[in-house]
Amino acid sequence: MKFTYNWLKEFVELKLTPEKLAEKLTMAGLEVKSLQAKDGDFILEIEITSNRPDWLSVVGIAREVAAITGKRLKIPKLVNGPQSMAHGSKARGKTGGLSTVDYRRVSIKIEDIKDCPLYTAKIIRDVLVRPSPEWLKKRLELIGCRSINNVVDITNYIMFTYGEPLHAFDLDKLNTERIVIRRARKGEKISNIDQVERILNEDILVIADEQKPVAIAGVMGGKDTEVDERTRSILLEAAIFDPVVIRRGRRLIGMQSESSYRFERGVDFDTASGSSLLATQLILELAQGSLVSTAESGTRHPELLKIELNPQEANRVLGIQAKKAEIKKMLEHLGFFVQDKRSGLLTVRVPLFRQDVKKEVDLIEEVARIYGYENIPTTVALITPRVGFNQNRELVGIIKNTLVGLNLNEAITYSLISRNLLFGFSDENLVKILNPLSQEQEILRPALLPGLLKVVSHNLNQKQLPVNIFEIAKGFSSGVKTPKEELLLSICLCGIEARFSSQGQIKDRPGLLHLKGILSQVLRRLGISNYSFKLNNNECADLYVQGQLLGRLFKLSQEALDKFDIKNTDVFTANLFLDKVFNLADLSKNIVPLPKYPAIVRDLSIVVKSDLAVDKIIQEIEKSAGDLFREVKVIDYYQGKQIPCGFRGITLSCLYRSDARTLTEEDISALHTAIVNILQDKFQAGLR
Amino acid sequence: MDIDSIKTQIEQEVQNIASSGQMSEFKFKYLGRKGIIAELTSSIPNKPKEERASFGQEVNRLKSKLNILISEKEKTLSSGLSQGGLAVVDIGMPGIAQELGQLHPITQVMEEICNIFMRMGFQVVEGPEVETEYNNFTGLNIPLEHPSRDAFDTFYLKDYDRLLLRSHTSPVQVRAMKEHKPPLAIIVPGRVYRPDAVDASHLFMFHQIEGFMVDRGVRFSDLKGILEVFAKGIFGRDIKMRFRPHFFPFTEPSAEVDISCIICKQKGCSVCGRKGWLEILGSGMIHPNVFKNVGHDPAKYTGFAFGMGIERIAMLKYGIDDIRLFFENDLRFLKQF
Repeated sequence: MKFTYNWLKEFVELKLTPEKLAEKLTMAGLEVKSLQAKDGDFILEIEITSNRPDWLSVVGIAREVAAITGKRLKIPKLVNGPQSMAHGSKARGKTGGLSTVDYRRVSIKIEDIKDCPLYTAKIIRDVLVRPSPEWLKKRLELIGCRSINNVVDITNYIMFTYGEPLHAFDLDKLNTERIVIRRARKGEKISNIDQVERILNEDILVIADEQKPVAIAGVMGGKDTEVDERTRSILLEAAIFDPVVIRRGRRLIGMQSESSYRFERGVDFDTASGSSLLATQLILELAQGSLVSTAESGTRHPELLKIELNPQEANRVLGIQAKKAEIKKMLEHLGFFVQDKRSGLLTVRVPLFRQDVKKEVDLIEEVARIYGYENIPTTVALITPRVGFNQNRELVGIIKNTLVGLNLNEAITYSLISRNLLFGFSDENLVKILNPLSQEQEILRPALLPGLLKVVSHNLNQKQLPVNIFEIAKGFSSGVKTPKEELLLSICLCGIEARFSSQGQIKDRPGLLHLKGILSQVLRRLGISNYSFKLNNNECADLYVQGQLLGRLFKLSQEALDKFDIKNTDVFTANLFLDKVFNLADLSKNIVPLPKYPAIVRDLSIVVKSDLAVDKIIQEIEKSAGDLFREVKVIDYYQGKQIPCGFRGITLSCLYRSDARTLTEEDISALHTAIVNILQDKFQAGLR
Repeated sequence: MDIDSIKTQIEQEVQNIASSGQMSEFKFKYLGRKGIIAELTSSIPNKPKEERASFGQEVNRLKSKLNILISEKEKTLSSGLSQGGLAVVDIGMPGIAQELGQLHPITQVMEEICNIFMRMGFQVVEGPEVETEYNNFTGLNIPLEHPSRDAFDTFYLKDYDRLLLRSHTSPVQVRAMKEHKPPLAIIVPGRVYRPDAVDASHLFMFHQIEGFMVDRGVRFSDLKGILEVFAKGIFGRDIKMRFRPHFFPFTEPSAEVDISCIICKQKGCSVCGRKGWLEILGSGMIHPNVFKNVGHDPAKYTGFAFGMGIERIAMLKYGIDDIRLFFENDLRFLKQF
């Protein structure tokens, strides 16, 4: 909403500088977006919240300024009642023009009073349509409204000043005695004053003559009945339309106007009829003409809403101590009618222009605004502590910190993606968006991997390597009544990692074992120990805990990488269902007492066939090693020179301990030899 | 060779060791898996029965003597290294350690905000991202056909009846209040969605934190107090704050909260539009209609609620001028946090 300083000054005693005014308005809830000096005036632009249509007018803002500054308002009393102007004007019969309309007999038919609670028409004839006087032109142009002619400009000027959108029809072009406010019929057409032809339907409210629509109610007039320099007689419309109908209609035809903007926020009875009179007065003054008749149809003038306000309640909710008399005065300044009751309550009657005030709490907000938010003290609430915390959130935190400690970077990617980025998901399991802005947002992603691959691709293009990233977020799949939301973890490893050691740089190419290592650390941190990785093929393995599939790790196929334009590099990924992981997580700790006696460690270097899984060797050792044996670990493996082709060297470390005494070499050499023998027998393992 | 001559040989050879490389060779020769000591040990079973015990002891003595000689020699070797400059440590070389990754800046800011509120006794609750129209709008006193909905353009789901992607975290207010009786002090972090055209300050997905507190006698002044603790915690003790009246359908009275511009210190810059103030969040006293909708008596309880965009807070805090950077995940960006 734009207005000017001088314009406002006409309606309220104003002693503030424009800058000070802007600050006061902002702090009262009328946020000033810009203040600009121009042509000896100042243009202010205010962001008006949707609950305050009364602020979409200069007098509405003047009322607010009066309330904050305690200064006098200079708003003319809007006289209520249609006859006041009509008598005294010379109502004549038929015109001498081409029209066959008897202007005195113009009548209004409202098909549904809910769509249009009030419609007034003023018939003015013998107008001289000319350019507007300079003051009017300037006023409109300063706020960015193009001057058309005196009649149209007056309707706009009154709208910006009082808030009621008006429309003037050329009555001779309208050529009807009956104005009908009705829903459009399906397929009806209208050409509007913006030169666009629109096809209408039953959701759109129109103003019509006997045959066809002449305006889209509350949105825009028709071209055929536009006022121009040849216009001699006008019908001046001032009405109230149902905000929801106007909103729906203007959305359907995809346009918005100053008029629809106000109607969908709500205009009131008094403003509508008062503006009609003020506009008529101005037209008679600037375009001559005479008021011939007035027609009006609609509901009766509504009763004012009465609300009881307990000043104690206001003080209690706000944390202030304002006196009853103070509160009464604040509300009166804002235009409320307040009665002081002996009960200690205030009875407040709400003026029609404050349709947003419906409850006591709405009045409390008015008290807060005028009291000044800045004057309300700052207190610290006592919070009654509640035991209980969000376990899953805790676990997500542990996982993220573990991954970051393992040199993975957290990424956050969009939940809405294009279906083209997916591979291996059936269409009926996807959750689709009804109204995406683009194809990029057409589905809710079932997996995180596509998002991460886009990140890999982006970073490769930027020559950023290696790309080790993860994301924790929800995946979506279709469900019965609502889609399923599952918390997922996805990790991507791509590119050779170079690290320093005391020997210089070590280069390392990622693979499934890296993912295994990362996931093992994560699981260990969550207190999950009985997990196992099962290899599906050389490029894919599954993670199981207690027979439950928790996730999969794999190398991406070339086909998948092509989709993301990833070239000349391998990408390895791990994908986990975190909800399942969380069900198994156990953060409780049970300490195992430290051993009383030292252990003896014996290493064992063997050469076995390359395709013999180390798991098998370990299982065999655990099975047959006897009761002094405690654990066996792989501490090295090697393939290459010194090892024949098709074989590999593995070094295992076996730990022996007794809980009753210190072991000697002799205690275990036999045991260890036995293990060696078994491995030789079972797996044809050779000693190194 | 008998043990004594081995011992003599060892003593001589140790003296001649001059580098760590020679030391390794020496160790390998005597202590390696097929070294001389191992040979001696494995020869024990071949000795006549009566000699085995004493021979074994001698081997053990030799072994411990060897270890003592080695550790003594190593001490002189390492001190000799630094004196002789054979392998000086160059402290300018890269340190050797496991590198660390980074949490996403949105996560970091979100955690920071949650931690401030958790220290004040708030509990973290999360909600689903797919919501009902009721929880997202009607329950929060937002009429379905009203201009106040313009700020909440929404993605709807195909094939479901009136399900949508939440356009704010406020539906969790409705969920939490329906499920639990006051007193409540809850914060809700999460993703939200709005069909906005993408530019430097708008995206169709972003993050919010919602907070609310409900009890008997919660006041607007308490809202001011709690938010002051928060804003000073995030942006520093020196910032100024102001509360401006505003309109939100689910709070009454409502307020927008500004902080003094942290970039120009209110001298005027492009970020604050030369106004000296930066809007950081919306807030207010929970509307009585919301209490009615969730089944609490508005005559008994009052409460406040607030909500903020994490991206906005992060952008202000770190001086980021394009919201899209958060979701591009360029490693050069991520590694700066």
